[in-house]
Amino acid sequence: MGWLPWSSSDTNKASDGGRIAPDRTSRARCWEGRDHFFACLDRNDILDGIKNDKEARQKCAKEVAEFEAACSKSWVKYFKEKRVMEYNRDRTIERIKNEDAQKVQELKSQGWKPT
Amino acid sequence: MPSSLRMASGLFRQATRNLAVIESTTSRPILSLLRNTSQSQCRAYTQAQRPRCQNIQSALSARNSFSTTAFRARAKTMGQMRQRNSTGPFSWKAALLFVLTGAGMVVYFRVEKARLERKRIAEMSKGVGKPKVGGPFTLVDLDGKEFTAEDLKGKYSFVYFGFTHCPDICPDELDKMAEIIDKVREEAKDDTVFLPVFITCDPVRDTPEVLREYLKEFHPGIVGLTGTYEQVKNVCRQYRVYFSTPKDVKPGEDYLVDHSIYFYLMDPDNDFVECIGRQDTPESATKVIMEHINDWKREGKPMKTV
Repeated sequence: MGWLPWSSSDTNKASDGGRIAPDRTSRARCWEGRDHFFACLDRNDILDGIKNDKEARQKCAKEVAEFEAACSKSWVKYFKEKRVMEYNRDRTIERIKNEDAQKVQELKSQGWKPT
Repeated sequence: MPSSLRMASGLFRQATRNLAVIESTTSRPILSLLRNTSQSQCRAYTQAQRPRCQNIQSALSARNSFSTTAFRARAKTMGQMRQRNSTGPFSWKAALLFVLTGAGMVVYFRVEKARLERKRIAEMSKGVGKPKVGGPFTLVDLDGKEFTAEDLKGKYSFVYFGFTHCPDICPDELDKMAEIIDKVREEAKDDTVFLPVFITCDPVRDTPEVLREYLKEFHPGIVGLTGTYEQVKNVCRQYRVYFSTPKDVKPGEDYLVDHSIYFYLMDPDNDFVECIGRQDTPESATKVIMEHINDWKREGKPMKTV
């Protein structure tokens, strides 16, 4: 996998000792891999790619390989965690919205008018 | 209201004119009566009377000349008079003037209120003594030259913290930053007032060379800054940025850095003015920045032009 700028220690080292980060095209490739993998998880009703690692690898073998090839390890972990976090966040927002709507309905039935 | 005054003086003048008429009519029988008694006496009386009449006349004419406001052309017919009475001092011209003045005042006060509000916020964040966000720091720029907080003075600086190995948020935000830079420079018609700065939170991996390559992809105008671990930790503390970079990383180790995802807008005194966050679009951010730049210019405060 020499074409990945950070996968081999020779190519990702800057001359002054720094480490070169993925550029725009590698980032785009990584994000594409992530989106394909997550679409596959969605199809198989898997939310957490870390907890259900085995199942995910079974059902989305091709996607997971592409994803991990295109992104560094820390990014893979980050994106998997972010997926769970965002799911929980959206669910919480949804729940609060529903609770609010219910409360408004309740108050309206008691004769309260929104001002 | 001048028009009501004018109307009052008009009425007054009419009243005195009537008075003069009464005066002259009443004086006539007296004259004839006097004429009957004796000619000499009459002359004496009329002589005495005449000056009085003349006095009134001259007083009347004097009163006319006292009035400084030009009286509207006297109504010639009853129709004209009636019409004048029905409309009073109001006309469509007066109404238009009233509405325009009112609208002008409303617009002016709104603009002024918004400006003062921004000024108040900017003043508030200056605080007393030490500023809350931002402060002295020493870093190195991409040419390896020392760069301190002093170098930010004289311009509106736009400070962002990040790291090149950032998975998704920093690249998005940097693309936004590039758009904001172009928009602000276009609107200000000046490339020198706005200084975008990128400070890395990950100095071990982000050397000047790495930063240069990275930032080039976003905007050539972004000033990249890095430094030693301690220097970066200090600047993060000055800007109240959460700093979580691991200190001893093995070469080649793969890790992420948590960091603040806000842009900090600092004024030419290098005092914190405003935060631009994820929720801002390039358009809304440009608007906020331009408002501050224009306020600063309007107040005639100094800016560096190099």
